[in-house]
Amino acid sequence: MHTRIGDYASRSREIIRGDLGVREAVTGATIAFDQKRLQGYAEVDADAWRRWAEGVKSHTLTHLDRYLTEAEARLEANGTEVHWAADAAEAREVVMSLAARHSVKSVVKGKSMVTEEIDLNPALEAAGIEVYETDLGEYILQLLGEEPSHILGPAIHKSLQQVQQLFADHLGSEPGGDPDTLARAARRVLRDAFIQSDMGITGGNFLVAETGTVALIENEGNIRLTTSLPRVHVAVVGIEKLVPCMADLAGFLQLTARAATGQPIGCFVSLVQGPAAHPDDDGPEEVHVVLVDNGRTNVLAHEHAWEALRCLRCGACLNACPVYRQTGGHAYGYVYSGPIGSVLDPGLLGLHEAMPLPFASSLCGACEDACPVRIPIPEMLLEWRREAQEEGLTPWKERAALKALASVATRPGLYRAAGRIGSRLGATGVARALPMLGEWAAERALPTPSGRTFRELWREGIE
Amino acid sequence: MSAGARERIMARVARATASRPGVPHPGALVTLPAEDAVDAFVKRFTISGGEVARADPERPPGEWLTGFLRGLEPQVMGVAVGPDVPPELRPGLPAVAAAHAGAGISMAWSAAADTGSLVLPSTGTRAVQLLPPVHVVWVPAARVFARLEDALRELEAELPAALGLHSGPSKSADIGRTVVTGVHGPGRCIAAFS
Repeated sequence: MHTRIGDYASRSREIIRGDLGVREAVTGATIAFDQKRLQGYAEVDADAWRRWAEGVKSHTLTHLDRYLTEAEARLEANGTEVHWAADAAEAREVVMSLAARHSVKSVVKGKSMVTEEIDLNPALEAAGIEVYETDLGEYILQLLGEEPSHILGPAIHKSLQQVQQLFADHLGSEPGGDPDTLARAARRVLRDAFIQSDMGITGGNFLVAETGTVALIENEGNIRLTTSLPRVHVAVVGIEKLVPCMADLAGFLQLTARAATGQPIGCFVSLVQGPAAHPDDDGPEEVHVVLVDNGRTNVLAHEHAWEALRCLRCGACLNACPVYRQTGGHAYGYVYSGPIGSVLDPGLLGLHEAMPLPFASSLCGACEDACPVRIPIPEMLLEWRREAQEEGLTPWKERAALKALASVATRPGLYRAAGRIGSRLGATGVARALPMLGEWAAERALPTPSGRTFRELWREGIE
Repeated sequence: MSAGARERIMARVARATASRPGVPHPGALVTLPAEDAVDAFVKRFTISGGEVARADPERPPGEWLTGFLRGLEPQVMGVAVGPDVPPELRPGLPAVAAAHAGAGISMAWSAAADTGSLVLPSTGTRAVQLLPPVHVVWVPAARVFARLEDALRELEAELPAALGLHSGPSKSADIGRTVVTGVHGPGRCIAAFS
């Protein structure tokens, strides 16, 4: 996927200064999600659940070859066709050839980050296939030609007024309709799409190795319909989504929902084992699972970053993050945004491509406290920063400034002299004229220096 | 292409994990089961927006259901009934295709109290469970498990092609953060105990 990560700083500025509505909508929605998560955690022994989940995921990832082999065998025994895709192009090719095999004209899709990651929709559309995103938020964004800005609430950056205008333009709904009326207008279009489409495409929240079960969590029912009505169901699943057995799945279904929205479980969970086999079953004739690598084995091989593959895509770290709350996901320039994006993207795409995301954080640690699988995000950010420094990927001004600081700090005489000068600079005008400090000061109110250095204060006795 | 991809991915996975010590599985997640599973189910299911109805013990359950459906607003005229619903639990209303039915009538395989979930097999059928605006699900009280884990483990050996866990009505807050129900699936989900 084409990324726009490199423009992070300018896009953040644009969002924060330009469209105040985005900041307001994202901050409101994420704070509400975060409060629900806290309630959801408070109802259970969340610390114990999170430690358990961390353990199961780490266990699975350190035995991934074994569980992939087991899942593949079980899926095939269930009558599901298994495909492997090393990168985005291969994943698209698998889906496109399945669409061609079944002469597919129309596709319904359940919300899936991995299909965003592999740029599937443009490929389907280029082949003349009609694509319907069926999650209400995703549908809104599809009409707008925008990408999702949040893992869970893809359109949280849109206000009610914007959706009213959009639906009036595209669906001919009455201007100023309430959310209920608007949802009904979308339902009418999408209900027809469910019934007419030949193929349903979803992601997968989990893949159970022991039973070959693709598990999907949602609240609207669109994924249940996507996996049930079309003749062919294709689930595109990252290789890190495995869990060993059904008992583990039962725990993860609950923990994911609690972390995401505070619910005990999603309103609907689809557990797909394979194509319809019983005469009474009206489900798909064919089920395909596409196992996607696309950079995941690079993450797995990384000494520190591999733990980010435990991610459940619940969005809790986005909701808790004071930086994400200011801009929403679009500033980050890639499908995985927020704290988890900042540690995952360098592994998936390469650190060079993901710069400056490891620096897009205040390291406050709220993400790690929220994470249901206890991914040590702040530590990982520091590790990526260290690597960026080593590889010379940080801005030259910053490197020069750090070098200068190091040479001053290691010479006591020089350090004392610099301290005396710094403490007496007084007017912020001088600081604003300096390189580095000036850029920092442009957005902030500088504190007034005391006029004396710490050493002087220490000698006098600090009050 | 696909076979080649498999070998490449598996080789990369093996290389990536070769020098990392294996983390042991932590065992089962310990949760405390509720004492009365049916009570706990009812509580959880209704918090999530599900509704619970109890058949009148004085009347045959099918007849009770007919009256119940006629009393709904809007009144249910035609129903789609799952093939696994036993004759005594079927309402006496005209059968219509699921896409046009006022209500779908299903039989739960089981239920889970800790998540307030109905376990619905794909043979039920899926159209009945998903297309009508109202979904009434018969729940055998003896088949309500205290924990979702128990309900899923029971099925492990003989899983149908697909299962749906329904734990409330279809809902979304994607427009203006206002919760709306009946977005794609049923806007009312009613657990019925005979």
